[in-house]
Amino acid sequence: MKIAIPATAPDLGASVETRLGAAPYLLVIDIEDLSFEAVAGPPPSTGPGAGIAAISIVTGMGAKAILVGFISPHIALTLEKNGIEVITPVGGSVMDAVIKYRQGALPGMAGDSQQPDVKLASHTGPQLQAAFRKAARQFFSIIPVLAGVILLVGLFRGFVSQGLLLTIFSGNVIQDTLWGACIGSVLSGNPVNSYVVGETLLKMGVSLFGAAALMLSWVNVGLLQLPAEISALGTRFAVSRTIAAFLMAIVVSILTVILTGGRV
Amino acid sequence: MKTIGHDAKPAANRKHWQWLFPASVIVVYVSIYFVAPDRTINALMASGNVLKQMALPLLLAFVMMVVLNLFITPAHVSRFLGSRAGIKGVLLSSVAGILSMGPVYAWLPFLAAIREKGASDFHLANFLASRAVKPVLLPLMIGYFGWRFSLIFTVLNMVGALLVASAVIYVCDGQRKSS
Repeated sequence: MKIAIPATAPDLGASVETRLGAAPYLLVIDIEDLSFEAVAGPPPSTGPGAGIAAISIVTGMGAKAILVGFISPHIALTLEKNGIEVITPVGGSVMDAVIKYRQGALPGMAGDSQQPDVKLASHTGPQLQAAFRKAARQFFSIIPVLAGVILLVGLFRGFVSQGLLLTIFSGNVIQDTLWGACIGSVLSGNPVNSYVVGETLLKMGVSLFGAAALMLSWVNVGLLQLPAEISALGTRFAVSRTIAAFLMAIVVSILTVILTGGRV
Repeated sequence: MKTIGHDAKPAANRKHWQWLFPASVIVVYVSIYFVAPDRTINALMASGNVLKQMALPLLLAFVMMVVLNLFITPAHVSRFLGSRAGIKGVLLSSVAGILSMGPVYAWLPFLAAIREKGASDFHLANFLASRAVKPVLLPLMIGYFGWRFSLIFTVLNMVGALLVASAVIYVCDGQRKSS
């Protein structure tokens, strides 16, 4: 059975929102295994119809009960006539609310509505076969893009030599730092290799700024893996993380060199 | 967890897009084979080496995903790696990132799985950014660059990981609030 709870954040540790229409997130939780879906609440521009819009969303997702801080009595009555249970007032964390709902311990709940204990213990989880199937499904969903990334990395390594890349350093601190970060972002891989390339750069006369920037971006950025990261974690996450990691590599490399006095 | 917002794509479109990318790379391989067959074969061999390198981490990630599905409920993940997990969540995602081995793309299916179970974007980003710190490689790094550089580099990298995670959560949360 699924229940809906308006929440302050898209996870079970979030607080229950007082009103459906004002909630940033609406969680629809399966009380059997505590899996859940989170959707954004109606935007503020929805106005007075936001509560109805929220109800429409959660009932459309299969919720058979709504747990909320407050709901207008006439709306609650209409919902209950249509087979949707409404529990108010509910506060605290979403997780606590779900557990209390399962125990029949929320305000207005009869003792006979108590549900079996929530399956929190590890050994009461899904069977091995089901777990294996689910893992395989999750795993293989990213395989096509992963295969493309591996082929792309091979293409890059086959056609762009390290020697060619090292020739672009000019000796200018700012340019070297930027080039170091750019090259590290594209090459990426095992940190050990970045140490070797970093030391080679230093021996070639490239500034420590460039070498440090390359070593930092080598593991942290990963432009070639971006399609796989987008596929697994979403465009916004992957792009913002990549940009932030690139900027971090530049700032941290500069700070590192300054704090070490420019010597190794 | 499934978050439905403006970024959500129909499942069919998503599947097509996933195959479009590797297909494009294969087309590039076939095209350049006629221009530079030897280097294309070298590139293919390099891809094979990458695959060999990531075989063990991929297997490890798969086993962890099975264990995750078998023993860990969304409530556990939400409690330890959710947006309200606090310092425990930060430490856990940092340590997990530091201990993870192999190429990052081997861990992406695992990260997607724990996100589905309620892990916050902050902790996923912190995991990815903490991967640059490898205690077992520290002696090697000290050998190359000296202890002072290695120590400052490592500490600043850990601080940088938290800043990257904060930037990601700022961008991703901002998008959710505006949608």
